[in-house]
Amino acid sequence: MDQKAIYKFCKSLGCCEACCLRYIGIKHPNAYENSKNYVTKFREENDLEPISTDKNMTIDVSAHTSEKNGASISSNVRNSDEICDKSIDTKESITNKGSTEVDTAVLDSNDSVSPPHKKRKLNVCVSCLGVLQEDNWQECYQMVKEILDKKGYECNTFACALSAPIATLLREKAVTLHLVDEFPQYDAKVLTPLKEAWKWSFGVKLGAYINKILDSGAISPLLITVNIDYVDELQELEILKTVSPQLFAERSKQKRRFVTEFTRRSVEQALELATLWSLSAADALRAPHSRAACVGAACAHAPIFLAGRYIKLSRNLPQSPWILEGRRVLPSSVQEIIFGPLTKCYKFDPEDADRRFKFIAAGREDVDVRCLGDGRPFAIEISDPTRQLTAEEMKEVCEEISNGGEVIVKEMSPISKEDLVQLKKGEETKSKTYEALCIKLSHSKFDEDHNAPIRVTQEDIDRINSYTNTTSKEVKIALQQKTPIRVLHRRPLLTRSRDILELTATLIPEHPQLFALRLRTSAGTYVKEWAHGELGRSAPALAAALRARADLLALDVRAVHLAWPPARRAPPAPRAPPPTTS
Amino acid sequence: MEYNILDSIDLNDKSIYKSFTDRYFSKRYILNVDGIENNDIMLMFHSNRITLLCLAPSHFFFKNPDKYNLNFTIGKVDRLSNLVKGKGKKGGQMLTPKSTICKVEWNDGTSFDIPCGMKGTLIEINENLVNNPEILREQPDSDGFIAIMLSSIANSEATKNELLNHEEYLKRVNCSI
Repeated sequence: MDQKAIYKFCKSLGCCEACCLRYIGIKHPNAYENSKNYVTKFREENDLEPISTDKNMTIDVSAHTSEKNGASISSNVRNSDEICDKSIDTKESITNKGSTEVDTAVLDSNDSVSPPHKKRKLNVCVSCLGVLQEDNWQECYQMVKEILDKKGYECNTFACALSAPIATLLREKAVTLHLVDEFPQYDAKVLTPLKEAWKWSFGVKLGAYINKILDSGAISPLLITVNIDYVDELQELEILKTVSPQLFAERSKQKRRFVTEFTRRSVEQALELATLWSLSAADALRAPHSRAACVGAACAHAPIFLAGRYIKLSRNLPQSPWILEGRRVLPSSVQEIIFGPLTKCYKFDPEDADRRFKFIAAGREDVDVRCLGDGRPFAIEISDPTRQLTAEEMKEVCEEISNGGEVIVKEMSPISKEDLVQLKKGEETKSKTYEALCIKLSHSKFDEDHNAPIRVTQEDIDRINSYTNTTSKEVKIALQQKTPIRVLHRRPLLTRSRDILELTATLIPEHPQLFALRLRTSAGTYVKEWAHGELGRSAPALAAALRARADLLALDVRAVHLAWPPARRAPPAPRAPPPTTS
Repeated sequence: MEYNILDSIDLNDKSIYKSFTDRYFSKRYILNVDGIENNDIMLMFHSNRITLLCLAPSHFFFKNPDKYNLNFTIGKVDRLSNLVKGKGKKGGQMLTPKSTICKVEWNDGTSFDIPCGMKGTLIEINENLVNNPEILREQPDSDGFIAIMLSSIANSEATKNELLNHEEYLKRVNCSI
């Protein structure tokens, strides 16, 4: 493939240097960083185009280095454009569509810096509509920087994403069809995507402006999205209705399904069928009247996750805020107690904290159940964080949580999103150990004197400890539990098979009617319902082992058998911040 | 640090010894249903609008020591084949206050109907009554409940407010004795 010929041809269509490189299929990021230098190798050596002379090179360099000097850049750029246009006009037989005569009056309203001219040429690439042309970038840099300054991310790398005008798809197709027509062996697949070329050029320079290093989206957690719009887009896309009338007729029939007429997808579909003839007839590569402009930028940091275990010492504290019909039932919750110090650490306002923090736990205990031992595994998702907390800060957060006296968190550590799977899996698969304080409510048939006060006997204890209804070694009591009435209004009615794996009863000498139970159960076992039997809906109940009616007075979770937080891997070495721009 | 479970609650607080039904349900009563004297039922409302149907202690049923059977086939409808699906409890039999949930058939051939007393959906019949009908007599306000019903929040609240509460019930029953 003759790259020089492709370059020359694309240029003649009105493409910018970077777009010429894209159609040639150049994939080196460096080529795009300074496309005006790079393209010199595709010019004929004996070519007398002034742009390839040293004189023009110096103009390019001056345009890069003196960005802040608006007047000098614009005059430099204009000079080179004019020279370029002239050369094309004289050298090429195909009319140059890349330049347009614009009245100074129109231009002056947009560009007050430019000195008055009778006529001037605005050189906008027919393919990228200016997305890859540097004179368009300063406003993007500023827009991004403004947002970054406001948000204050500490991350020193970034990835960038482009939302380009859909009209560029149409124009790309038109250029490609021209190329295939001119060079029958041209492979349209070599085209370097606009987004890539943009990242390699705009992205790198943005990095210098915002003092961060450009990295891939797979690596850097900070994503900067730039939206570029093209004013005449809708008008130009109308062409597609002549190219692919059927598609748009169908879409307009299903207005509910296709709210927007021209989407990236619909345009791509329409272009599949486009021919050079149909696009040329519609003048798809018409000279742009204006360049695509940056209309917005968004910056977002990927969520970070903190892991820990909480110990809950209160019998009057729900895990998440308990709000009934818009009113709080209880003043606080485990979640809020943990979020409080984090909110301060990140300097979020309270409403913001509500949106930015998400509490994820391996199951939950009832309001009146304590969670002791090592506590219950949990994680916090922080969306769009400005930074990762230091080990010291996390320690302080834990101390502040624990000082309140209702919840204790001993340590927190950063984890990855993938680690969360274990937390959720643990909720469904891991066993839990409980301690229960129970009361014997009736005499059993083994009690000798049914008129004496009810007492728990050693025989009662032995009966509980030896009770089993399975032959399995692992399972002591196999339960059938219907969905408890207390949650039946919001969960389906099902009968679940659950297991008590270990069960030990002990006497409490100072309280003869009470006894203590320590039990380990499979995940999802309703311990309270097992203890009182829930009107026969959970069977066999504790009463079946005791041979007398029984109830539960207090319940503690003693252990959630899940290794958490996951074993720590060595964190990736932090990158050095880029040198500051002068 | 050890957190002793015995120290974690106030054992002198009588409320911790309340029975399961007293802890979670409010009792309401309907007397002389269908104009039949002492055809008294009790509805137990959970705060989440789940409602249990039971016989009130003043029901004439408890005065008759004879043997009985429970029949859950009402006309063409078999209450035992009631099936609810999903969180929304779709497919449950629709009930109006007059709907009969179960017939008590005495050994002497006489019988009486137990109505449900409220508008709603049948969620569950107490299946333990099928094999163990005596619990209706022995534990009428707990394991011998008859059915679980669910109705809209509005209807549940309205029904709860218009029916006799426990104190009013005790007054009425004591007067009529």
